[in-house]
Amino acid sequence: MNTSATFGVGTPSESDFRDTRDGDMSDIGLTKGHVTVGSVEIQAAKITARGVNIFYGDKQAIHDVNVDIGKNQVIAMIGPSGCGKSTFLRSLNRMNDTIDGCKIEGDIRIDGEDLYSPKLDVVELRARVGMVFQKPNPFPKSIYDNVAYGPKIHGLAETRADLDEMVEKSLRRAGLWDEVKDRLFQAGTGLSGGQQQRLCIARAIAVSPEVILMDEPCSALDPIATARIEELIEELSHNFTIAIVTHNMQQAARVSQRTAYFHLGRLIEVNPTEQVFTNPEHSLTESYITGRFG
Amino acid sequence: MSKEPIYLEKIQRSLVGRYRAERAFRGCGMLAVSLGLAAVLLVFVDIFIKGTGAFSATYIALDVTYEKDLLGIENLADQRQVNSGDWEALYKQALRRDFPDIRKRGERRKLYALVSSAAGYDIKDRLLANPGLLGSKETLWILADDDIDSYYKSWLDGNAYTARLTDGQIRVLDTLINTERMQLHFNANFLTRGDSREPEQAGIWGAVIGSFLTLMLTLVLSFPVGIAAAVYLEEFAPKNKVTDFIEVNINNLAAVPSIIFGLLGLAIFINLFQIPRSIPVVGGLVLAVMTLPTIIITSRAAIKSVPPSIREAALGMGASRNQMVLHHVLPLALPGMLTGAIIGMARALGETAPLLMIGMVAFIVDIPAGFMDPATVLPVQIFLWADSPERAFIEKTSAAIMVLLGFLVTMNISAVWLRKRLERRW
Amino acid sequence: MANMSFENHIVKQFDGELEDIRTMLMEMGGKVEQQLKDAITSVAGVDSALAERVIERESHVDEMELDIDEACMLIIARRQPAATDLRLVMMVSKAVNDLERIGDEAKKIASHAIILAEQDVPSKGYTEVRHLGKGVSNILANALDAFARFDVEAALKTLKDDHQIDLEYKTALRELVTYMMEDPRSISRVINILWVVRSLERIGDHAKNLCEQIVFVVKGQDIRHSELRG
Repeated sequence: MNTSATFGVGTPSESDFRDTRDGDMSDIGLTKGHVTVGSVEIQAAKITARGVNIFYGDKQAIHDVNVDIGKNQVIAMIGPSGCGKSTFLRSLNRMNDTIDGCKIEGDIRIDGEDLYSPKLDVVELRARVGMVFQKPNPFPKSIYDNVAYGPKIHGLAETRADLDEMVEKSLRRAGLWDEVKDRLFQAGTGLSGGQQQRLCIARAIAVSPEVILMDEPCSALDPIATARIEELIEELSHNFTIAIVTHNMQQAARVSQRTAYFHLGRLIEVNPTEQVFTNPEHSLTESYITGRFG
Repeated sequence: MSKEPIYLEKIQRSLVGRYRAERAFRGCGMLAVSLGLAAVLLVFVDIFIKGTGAFSATYIALDVTYEKDLLGIENLADQRQVNSGDWEALYKQALRRDFPDIRKRGERRKLYALVSSAAGYDIKDRLLANPGLLGSKETLWILADDDIDSYYKSWLDGNAYTARLTDGQIRVLDTLINTERMQLHFNANFLTRGDSREPEQAGIWGAVIGSFLTLMLTLVLSFPVGIAAAVYLEEFAPKNKVTDFIEVNINNLAAVPSIIFGLLGLAIFINLFQIPRSIPVVGGLVLAVMTLPTIIITSRAAIKSVPPSIREAALGMGASRNQMVLHHVLPLALPGMLTGAIIGMARALGETAPLLMIGMVAFIVDIPAGFMDPATVLPVQIFLWADSPERAFIEKTSAAIMVLLGFLVTMNISAVWLRKRLERRW
Repeated sequence: MANMSFENHIVKQFDGELEDIRTMLMEMGGKVEQQLKDAITSVAGVDSALAERVIERESHVDEMELDIDEACMLIIARRQPAATDLRLVMMVSKAVNDLERIGDEAKKIASHAIILAEQDVPSKGYTEVRHLGKGVSNILANALDAFARFDVEAALKTLKDDHQIDLEYKTALRELVTYMMEDPRSISRVINILWVVRSLERIGDHAKNLCEQIVFVVKGQDIRHSELRG
């Protein structure tokens, strides 16, 4: 594990305010060795990322990111478009492996186990770290088959009855059971957008992952469907570790316990969500969440 | 806020021009489409008018007496007697009886020539099927010669074609027509027999079976190989110089003239591997090689059109690459792949040039019974008939084209149907 | 001094709206300050006409409170402010409350001034009122000043000054009690003065709240009920 700078949540001194608030972007020193402010390390971390650099070909998308993701916590990743938050999220279940020319340096561990070690099987990893995508993407199969797919390929169900039970349980947990129980064998693509996204969540939790990654899960949904998903995230966070990327800052404020702010491929600040939204430490975070130029 | 009136005026003025341009553009498009349609329609109508005649043939009613003496046959069960029997004597006798005033040898020969040379075999089949008729007499409709067929059909149209007939023959024919002993019947021979030098006996069944066997082999060989290649290139192959090179070459291969594939077949399959020429195996191999690029290209396009979100979903669920392809990509791409394959097959069905190179242009009378029997295919049959001098082959050619077009249309419709059906599942 | 800026929002109107509530709050502060001064003058100068005007003008202050509260609510509904913006809106909404209460106290002082003017010629207790009133007026002026410039140093200093006011209040109380013991006939009059002094002390507390809000806006730290003042 690399020795990254760590900060307590303690009270910053007067001069701390001045340093960050007076500075404009050029003299914050973003380009050379920015150090994340806030509480990078936490107790009971599920995932630890240290010194993570991600490259697409020659272009560096992520610069030296250090962060812990707490067990059974929701961490929200916010930041302007192209800041690398999705890239970082996708590196947590190695979805970036599928992209040609994507190279990752650094150390990411789940329960202390190296994610990028050659010994770790990527299929097994993805069973442990599920993912929900920006656009609801149910398979063009029945609702039942969508949810049963994970248990089937991983051989989790011994009998048909087991599988039925798993499907029902997952749909119930995703708050979708009552809406679809009469049409389990109809196409999943025939559901509304919000239902499709909950179906995708049901599909992800059917294999009982430890971590669920969500990449802007509500960006294609209306406010009511969004509220349902947020409610669901809140419920799921009792049993799952959740990392969510979102452009909706109010959403980040509502659903997460910790918030990480990314800017130009760097993790600027990570702090308890209450703090980030009332009194962020870094002026860039402040500018972003208050809707200023910066 | 409203625009200043001057702007509105300008916009209104420019609108007129824009709408005119739009109408002109649409008009051009419709003109092009109707020109194309007219050309296709013209060809179809022409072929249809020329070809329908081939589905009927002229028959002459003759009173045939199955005389044992004349045939030289005592017992129909005796194979040797049946084979050596003089079957043609039966219709010759009937003709002599009907036209007793024709006595000269030359004129008699012309009289016998009114009937198809295969008429003897028809009578033989009739008698063997009904042995009880031996010794009795009946009126039989006997197939006329192709020249008579041409004459009668053109006479029916009011413009009798007499170039290949003598005056004596025309007199005889007029008598037959006047006594209503000449009729058009449905020509079953055309659909059930193989090729023949005699137009009235020539059929396309041999070519249809030949085409069927060849295409079966083409499909069995090219479809799995094509799909496997497409899936590998699209989903598994690393993107580097080698795969780029392969891709470029596949695209080039699709553009290679088909006769080159014929030469390839000749050089490799026949000369190198010593596969006998003229058989469906070698034809199927050549056509498979020819259709492979098409199938690979259409299959790759079908695979590419599968939304990436589905792949991501599958991978995100922990599916291996293999599972992702088998469970999600292939089922979604299958309709497109099938369409591509059927269109490739349709192209192969219509292909002549490469088959000429590997000897499938031979004159084959027998209907092929298997992949190793010499055979010809529909387009080659059309080519052969179009090349024949006899006037009667003109309508045969057109009729064969109609059959070929029928198959092509059926295949294309089935491609559309298959696509619709497979896609409608979700 | 911390450089507090409420500008540079991508949405320009947001800048304007924040500026508006600040300006309105400053205006209200100015009005309240004037009310306080006039109330104190009306007591010390036995000027019941002035006291009447103070009571009359109190309704203006109340109207401003309603206006500012509505503006704050609209900003929250429309802009969902966060961080400094959120703290500013929260602060303004609370400060409005404090200012309104100061206005109320000033009105109370004015009504006591009228009662005092009706009684005998004043003699004792006015010195305390004048003295304490000056102190409280200063604190309020300093608090509003600190708010105008978002000056944490000044706010912290004002907080300490308020501590001083509390001491002076206790001294004044003791003196007034002495007056009442010396001359029981003056009890009813001194009680009126006692109310005035009591109101002044309350105003000092509200001014203190304002200062705490300023620290909250600038630093994002709630220093209420903490021992930071020492």
